[in-house]
Amino acid sequence: MACEFNLNFLKELEREAVLEVLYRDQMVRKTEEERIRKLKLQLQQLRWKGARNVSHEYQERSCARCQKSLGLLMNRGAVCNGCSHRVCSECRVCLNPCLWKCTVCYAHGDVKVKAGEWFFEERAKKYPGEGRHETVGAKLLKSYQKLSKISVVPPTPPPFTEAAAGSNVTELRQSKSFNKSVENLFLSLTTHIKKISKSQNDMADRRLLTTDYGQNVERRKQRRSQSDTAINITSRMKSTPSLQQLITGAQNDHEILTKRNCKEEEDITTSPTSDAVFCDGRKHGSLYSLNSTCTESGNFDKANITGEIEFAIRYIFKACILEICIKGCKNLAYGEEKKKKCNPYVKVYLLPDKSPRSKRKTAVKKSTVDPEFDETLKYKIEYSQLESRQLQISVWHAGALKYRVFLGEVVIPLAAWNFKDNSMQLFNWYQLKAKLEKPEGDLIQYSGELLVSARLSVPAQYKNFQFEGKKDQGVPNCQLQVMIFGAKNLPMLRCAGMLNSFVKGCLILPDQAEVKRKSPVLKKEACPQWKHLFVFDGVTPAELQQSCLHLTVWDQSAFSSSDQFLGGAKLGAKESFGCTDLVSQSVLQWQEVLHSPNKWMDFTLLLHSHKENFKS
Amino acid sequence: MSRARFLKISTMTDGDYDYLIKLLALGDSGVGKTTFLYRYTDNKFNPKFITTVGIDFREKRVVYNSRGPNGSPGKAFKVHLQLWDTAGQERFRSLTTAFFRDAMGFLLMFDLTSQQSFLNVRNWMSQLQANAYCENPDIVLIGNKADLSDQREVNERQAKDLADKYGIPYFETSAATGQNVEKAVDTLLDLIMKRMEQCVDKTQVSDTANGGSSGKLDSAKPEEKKCAC
Repeated sequence: MACEFNLNFLKELEREAVLEVLYRDQMVRKTEEERIRKLKLQLQQLRWKGARNVSHEYQERSCARCQKSLGLLMNRGAVCNGCSHRVCSECRVCLNPCLWKCTVCYAHGDVKVKAGEWFFEERAKKYPGEGRHETVGAKLLKSYQKLSKISVVPPTPPPFTEAAAGSNVTELRQSKSFNKSVENLFLSLTTHIKKISKSQNDMADRRLLTTDYGQNVERRKQRRSQSDTAINITSRMKSTPSLQQLITGAQNDHEILTKRNCKEEEDITTSPTSDAVFCDGRKHGSLYSLNSTCTESGNFDKANITGEIEFAIRYIFKACILEICIKGCKNLAYGEEKKKKCNPYVKVYLLPDKSPRSKRKTAVKKSTVDPEFDETLKYKIEYSQLESRQLQISVWHAGALKYRVFLGEVVIPLAAWNFKDNSMQLFNWYQLKAKLEKPEGDLIQYSGELLVSARLSVPAQYKNFQFEGKKDQGVPNCQLQVMIFGAKNLPMLRCAGMLNSFVKGCLILPDQAEVKRKSPVLKKEACPQWKHLFVFDGVTPAELQQSCLHLTVWDQSAFSSSDQFLGGAKLGAKESFGCTDLVSQSVLQWQEVLHSPNKWMDFTLLLHSHKENFKS
Repeated sequence: MSRARFLKISTMTDGDYDYLIKLLALGDSGVGKTTFLYRYTDNKFNPKFITTVGIDFREKRVVYNSRGPNGSPGKAFKVHLQLWDTAGQERFRSLTTAFFRDAMGFLLMFDLTSQQSFLNVRNWMSQLQANAYCENPDIVLIGNKADLSDQREVNERQAKDLADKYGIPYFETSAATGQNVEKAVDTLLDLIMKRMEQCVDKTQVSDTANGGSSGKLDSAKPEEKKCAC
């Protein structure tokens, strides 16, 4: 080995040594960043505590921190010098005998101190132009990354890297995301070549090669046990933010922290910036579009999905409000790659409801791939409903006019979410994913519920008639009666939240004949109560056994000829129906009606949003 | 050696500390920066000379007891120390000096058995002034290898005078025996924590001034005295 030493090789070794140090340093920074994030979260929770009553107006005569009411003479509280809020005597921290601050202002200062803000402030005086929180180590790591891309040719590239390692590396620079992965690849290669050749387990290292270089937690573990070839692969698969993202993320964090005055605190809860509180089927706010015609019909472009999104979820049991606090994203793909343009915003749906009512959006951030939203989106929803819901959090690029580009999404099934565990309220980074090929898979598109009652009216002389397939020859014509009571949770089509809705009933008989009924239109009702009876005459139980009733809810269009479909439900015999569960349920319900003549049976039918599935 | 080092680190990867303080050791090649830090973090001595390639760092977690205004014991804080070790060799100079700006305090070291390394302290000082985060960062001057008394080339008076000229503390240490090693680092840490408190006090006051108008600040004072806490 010794005779093989040359200057180049030595340099390479030196670089490796320095890189290893820089990676270790990155670990330290990451731990530090995580620590600061937690401190900020504690601060945030302190703020949250202060504004527990979400929708209630801020009362003048109460402590801004603990909501305790204050008197006019006794226990009147005092104004905090930091935030100018009136607080009670218990919510103060004395700094010295004649200076105190409210708990939040104190914690705010404390976080600044513990985050080492004093140092960054001092340094910014001397180096005003440079990145406030960027360290030399971080910068170097970045430059090494570039360096290694150009100058290092891996001696034994694994098979799958061959294409990328070819001569046209420079050409690949055109494509950012690809280039990125190439960079990462080379970087990983330069740092891991030795390990690769050492390792007996190529498969284990393949994962390592494709991972981001931010993965050094695992890498370090590996360094600790280099002799140990059994490396835990899965532990490496967890995505960790890349260095650059880390830095910009941390920077933004700090900037926001320093920028934000204590005065703004109550904004978080009492008046969220996006103004996306949505209660009782009414929407206040301007970010509410009628329906996402572009984005929901698949009429949008897709960027290469990169990056992550940071958010926290919590449920306020007292107020029945689900809050999603969208912190920001990092390392997003450009919405318009050629123009290097990206104006990201975040859209949230509470699936399976894909109606506009379930939609929340953040503001659009201009020209950034690392947006900071810091917005809290809210849903008024019963706790019991949560387990059937999924949060779909997607990121979009808002281009000119209605041009939208999908930048990635995260879907969180809330059934598994433990809302009672405080640690689940922490901010977390989530890797953005591409849309699934079949967006909802077996998910039914929920668009509200329809309350109906049905009975099979059999003439009196056949009262004791027991339905059996063979015997129905002599059974006279019966009557199917369907009482449409009302609907709730219908999709909202207008900002005002009002519908001019009506119900259509379509009974499809075995010979494919269709008997149609229609209810009157109920104007300006979000939760219409039609209480309208559909009567289908001259049907026999045998026919009904093989019939199907389609009930559809519509919004009457004032001007155009076509009414807007809101949702539909089926009641009846087996028929091609996407979801097996529903078939059986709908068949069962139908059987119940047929088997219990002259008895009203109540149903709550789930409305589905696929118009094509229904006849009307 | 490496085993012990990793064990050390593995217990320190969590974020359970109050402050991250970054120190940096600098000085001529061979004055004993690496062994000094190794003694400090692991309380061990490695007599072999292995030149540091560019840059390295070690970590240690310590408890810092702040003192109240009248010397009374204050709160105890967990401090995570990141101790940067730099290559003394000239060829790494541009790399090592670049790291100066991220450090909050400096261990400027020379070799008591090398007059030249002592003479170069001035150069290092000017390097620091140029590259550190501010014009007058916290520094301690360290004369290392105090155990090799028979080879000593720099006398204590000389070094003390230089330190006084810069207004910084001076320690004669030995990484081999451990003499003064901890004391030197603790002194530097103390300086940094004091500076931090000062900066913080300033900002607390200025924060307050920003929060309410200055006129309001005065009028609010009588009320503050009634503070019930």
